Amino acid sequence: MNSFKLVDKLSRLSMKPESLPQISEGDNLKNQSTTTPCKDNSEETISSNIANSYLNILTLIGENPSRQGLEKTPMRAAQALLHFTKGYQENISEIVEGAIFCEDVDDMVIVKDIEMYSLCEHHMVPFFGKVSIGYLPNKKVIGLSKLARLVEMYSRRLQIQERLTVEIANAIMKAIEPRGVGVVIDATHMCMVMRGVEKLNSKTITSAMLGEFRNDPKTRQEFLSLIKN
Amino acid sequence: METKKIKCDKTKENCNGHLQLDFNGNELKIFNGKEISENNKELQTKEISSAYLNIINSIGEDSSRQGLLKTPERAAKAILHFTKGYNETLQEVVKDAIFDENTDELVLVKDIEMFSLCEHHLVPFMGKVSVGYLPNKKVLGLSKIARIVEMYSRRLQVQERLTNQIADALQEILNPRGVAVIVEATHMCMVMRGVEKFNSKTVSSSMRGEFRTNPKTREEFFHLVKSN
Repeated sequence: MNSFKLVDKLSRLSMKPESLPQISEGDNLKNQSTTTPCKDNSEETISSNIANSYLNILTLIGENPSRQGLEKTPMRAAQALLHFTKGYQENISEIVEGAIFCEDVDDMVIVKDIEMYSLCEHHMVPFFGKVSIGYLPNKKVIGLSKLARLVEMYSRRLQIQERLTVEIANAIMKAIEPRGVGVVIDATHMCMVMRGVEKLNSKTITSAMLGEFRNDPKTRQEFLSLIKN
Repeated sequence: METKKIKCDKTKENCNGHLQLDFNGNELKIFNGKEISENNKELQTKEISSAYLNIINSIGEDSSRQGLLKTPERAAKAILHFTKGYNETLQEVVKDAIFDENTDELVLVKDIEMFSLCEHHLVPFMGKVSVGYLPNKKVLGLSKIARIVEMYSRRLQVQERLTNQIADALQEILNPRGVAVIVEATHMCMVMRGVEKFNSKTVSSSMRGEFRTNPKTREEFFHLVKSN
């Protein structure tokens, strides 16, 4: 999305563009807005606003929001949703925090089976699974936990699995410019399990291969066999 | 946040319409599941979609982008599906699938998958339900046991209450010599947020009649549920 379209959308949402944090390429892929809520609205106001919507939903589904179990549910549900979408407030430089080190290493580095929890942007229902990441360093390595933190940042948003996979790969590419990156996600989608087709054993697997992982079949093969259980 | 309330009978798990105003002082639209006509259902979906649209905008997303354009409506239909249990009754679910049989041995239907919504955070919890009963000259169509689980789980729930309701339902329709229900579930509210313990499981059980009074019966039930 070019900057003019972004500004236009923001003004419609009553946000001042200059109040936004700097959005870098890795954060702002096509079709995804990574804007933070307007700084004029406190977190409390946003929370209350969401809580009010949940209160309405409770009544609309036929429940009684004044019974003991539901009395504080609107607020709790609002806080929960804000937690599930906290990735919007984060960006790559904050997450990585300088944990990039010069090392004379060029063999594959893999961090596998990172648990991931996200929200399907089509039904607002969770999907979760494991993310495995591999990269071929180009004189720079990244703190291992930062890979998991990058997964957190992109997954704690309204997402689709395909985009999540690509965003993680691009972010690593941007942060340390390796010779190649591979990301595989294996997830279960509650929107397919709890509703719709109701297939409870189905899993969705997506991958993103960049650089040598894309160009060299042997590298890709090595990565895929190392992450297999 | 102040809410205007009418005194509610808190012993009723689903009494409708007692809360009149929302946090901003606007009137809440009230729907009673059983009385919804087609027109009302459309209105109900539309109103819930509106609420989701507000939520999406509040978290800072762009509700007009392609991926989110129809999300309010999809999310509304999803939550109505997850709470369809409110519109069902035991009579409708069981119909006439109760049969006279001269059997008194344990009947067990185990590992029935269950998906529910935690009423505290509106986040899914899911797992398996195993139900056993000792017939008293009457047996129930096996799939009805699974349908009873569906009916009570497709509501805003607390695992303990869900377990009891399933047990109570069987007690009511069959009057058996004993009922046992075990629910083992993972709560996304504990896994995706809060303590974030992804391996933890919650197990709750409800024992009635001989399952409660006779340890051997209870033991047999647990053994059969555990075995593969």
